[in-house]
Amino acid sequence: MEGTAITRPFPFLLLPSLWASRNRARRRERGDGVRAVLFGAVGLAVMAALCYGAFWVTWQAAQYGELGDYLIRIGLSWLFLTFLSFLAFSGVVASLSTFFLSDDLRLILAAPVASRRLFLARFARTVAQAGWMVAVFLLPVLAGIGVAKCAPWSFIATATLTVAPFVVIPIALGSLTTLFLVNVFPAKRARDILMLMGLVFAISLVLLLRFLQPERLMRVESMPEVTDFFATLQSPITPLLPSFWAGEALFAGLQGGRDLLHIAALWSTAAAALVIVGWAFQRWHFSGFSKAQEVRKARFTQWRMLDRIAGLLPLSQVRKHLLIKDLKVFLRDVSQWSQLLLLVALMMVYLYNFRVLDLERIPYMSGFLKNIYAFLNLAMAAFVMSTVAVRFVFPAVSAEGAAFWIIRTAPISLRDFLWSKFWTGLVPVLLLTEILIVAGNELLGVDPFLKQMSAVAIVFMAFALVGLATGLGARYPRFAADNPSQIAGSYGGVAFMILAVLFILVMIVLLGWPSSILLLAQFRNRALTSGQELFIVAMFIAAAALSIATFILGMRTGVRALQDMDRTPS
Amino acid sequence: MIAVENLVKRYGSFTAVDEVSLNVAPGQIHGFLGPNGAGKTTSIRIIAGLLKPTAGRIIVNGHDLAREPEAAKAALGFIPDRPFIYEKLTAGEFLRFHAGLYGMSDSDIELRIHEMLDIFELGKWQNELVESFSHGMKQRLVMSAAFLHRPKAVLVDEPMVGLDPRGARLIKDVFRRMAANGVAILMSTHTLEVAQEMCDLISIILKGKIIAHGTVTELRAMAGSPNEELTPVFLKLTGGSGLQEIDEIV
Repeated sequence: MEGTAITRPFPFLLLPSLWASRNRARRRERGDGVRAVLFGAVGLAVMAALCYGAFWVTWQAAQYGELGDYLIRIGLSWLFLTFLSFLAFSGVVASLSTFFLSDDLRLILAAPVASRRLFLARFARTVAQAGWMVAVFLLPVLAGIGVAKCAPWSFIATATLTVAPFVVIPIALGSLTTLFLVNVFPAKRARDILMLMGLVFAISLVLLLRFLQPERLMRVESMPEVTDFFATLQSPITPLLPSFWAGEALFAGLQGGRDLLHIAALWSTAAAALVIVGWAFQRWHFSGFSKAQEVRKARFTQWRMLDRIAGLLPLSQVRKHLLIKDLKVFLRDVSQWSQLLLLVALMMVYLYNFRVLDLERIPYMSGFLKNIYAFLNLAMAAFVMSTVAVRFVFPAVSAEGAAFWIIRTAPISLRDFLWSKFWTGLVPVLLLTEILIVAGNELLGVDPFLKQMSAVAIVFMAFALVGLATGLGARYPRFAADNPSQIAGSYGGVAFMILAVLFILVMIVLLGWPSSILLLAQFRNRALTSGQELFIVAMFIAAAALSIATFILGMRTGVRALQDMDRTPS
Repeated sequence: MIAVENLVKRYGSFTAVDEVSLNVAPGQIHGFLGPNGAGKTTSIRIIAGLLKPTAGRIIVNGHDLAREPEAAKAALGFIPDRPFIYEKLTAGEFLRFHAGLYGMSDSDIELRIHEMLDIFELGKWQNELVESFSHGMKQRLVMSAAFLHRPKAVLVDEPMVGLDPRGARLIKDVFRRMAANGVAILMSTHTLEVAQEMCDLISIILKGKIIAHGTVTELRAMAGSPNEELTPVFLKLTGGSGLQEIDEIV
């Protein structure tokens, strides 16, 4: 090959991803259409909501003349500051995968590909992976702001010229951090550390945003507080950040002007960042990649306590060992258990919302509203339950992956296997949602009858939803999936979510309708007629029957699917 | 064609490859034998440019791998033990990409792809996705890719794993033909019959060090078993009978 070799430009290295996407689109699998329509519709709805939200806020601010302009200007800078940190972190995570952990690197690095070409291709992929979400978010937001401010058409060009270099800068910084980290820690260890850091970052962000109480900004009487609020977000270094330059450039574009200075600052910084990361890549990439290939003795926790606790449980030997195996696998996988941290943080925020909910402000209606909120709480807890179930319970069978042959060839019944998965999922899910219901209703101070009814109803709903998730997970397994999120997003996962939402809605009607009759009678100090009593009992029985039927049908479907499975992955 | 000089690879205090030196001449098939964990795959991956050595030098077709990695890699074909193939590409697309990576000219690519697919009996699968291939077919596709750009030297890590007798026969024939055309082949294998049948020279590695080197006849003499098959010779040289107390297991 020497002498006659042709060097193709770096985009050639991106071709496999493009060809693979084209082939995937051509050979669609079952459920792909449904999933695309569903996710597409949700995506469009979110984008429309963002566009409208941005339009509304800008429109409101514009009513305040110069103060409004000041708010929009600072708001833009603040929005980009948030993206700056998000993109930097996202760049670290994405480059860890594109620079060091992707499987195709083993193929490409064995080929005569110059380091510079490899860098450009991998960095382009990193930017696409880390930045697409920001682009999708910014598009409707900037459109909303532009429309509200009656910006000229040139605003589109300004926005493009601003956002493109803005996205590159933090991602380059993130990639540089990754190059450093992987040369210090082994790549797989670095991934775990990053994952934890990311979660802590997300949790702090959620908690911070919640405890700042942004809702107070919505009150008319607190308008002066708004400027104070934004002023606290400013600091002397803000003008040195690309987020500030982007905010300024866009603000000028909104007014029909051009802020070439800040746009030039963005482009020159992006170019400089690209050169620096390119240099660092050529210098440190191979040593980092080589390190990432080295298999070191993994550090892990033995969790002997689990063996002892499981030993005390009144379970058969088989179920005990299945339980211990599942728990140890879960607890040793950082990407799995760390998501629970995020869930706990969201729960805290959720409950905190109930604590600060000031329903007493609304005269005469507080009692009525509280009871409405009790049902909202029940529905929310059930939605949380279905989300947790689709993420953790639905993938339980698929998670056996290529090791499923062990279960198939062992002398245990598949019914036992599936029931073990059910119980492992039910206990934490029930515990979590029961806490949400009891604590939420306690903080709201709802009627004692509703407290008891909700506490019992959630038990029935937990059996139904966990049973359905376990069963459908066995009916539509994805043994070849790389991670549980992929399994949750599969055809079966989407089908489960649709069924779960329908189930929750029907349950809320079956429980809410009779409860409202009962509470209304209590409120008016009237006794129930025998017809009403019969109706209430019938509705509650129907709710219980629906839960039991969903649970039994779900599990039966799963057991039958496992027994009829004609291929075992290995 | 492939010259490895005093190769060392350390992971912390553990030395995986310890002062390994090898020379594979054009047209030669060089067997690289050793028990599990001896350092064969690590050595081969260093020569392929996937791992950075702690010390030592690798020269491929006159190019130092550390100084001129692209020139050295352009002369190499690599068949790993666990190859990566894009599952969502067709066999033809995968080979086309591979040809592009090695800088083949567009006019040459299609003809050569057909030629290689025919040799490895994959012609009718050219437009099928790789994900639908059996293990043996994937193995043959990787070999088509490795020979596609007419390399001067080929590194092979465990070539016979998962191949049926027909596939194994085919691979042996291809290797012999390539060697006859002057390609240097360095092949690590556990299948001693394959090594005995195909290799001109054999190096045995144990705990990262080359402990024996020579033709099959020379190795037999070294082990003091001139008429034996390679398996007992290998076991004598690597210091274990490899036989368990089978009665205890049953």
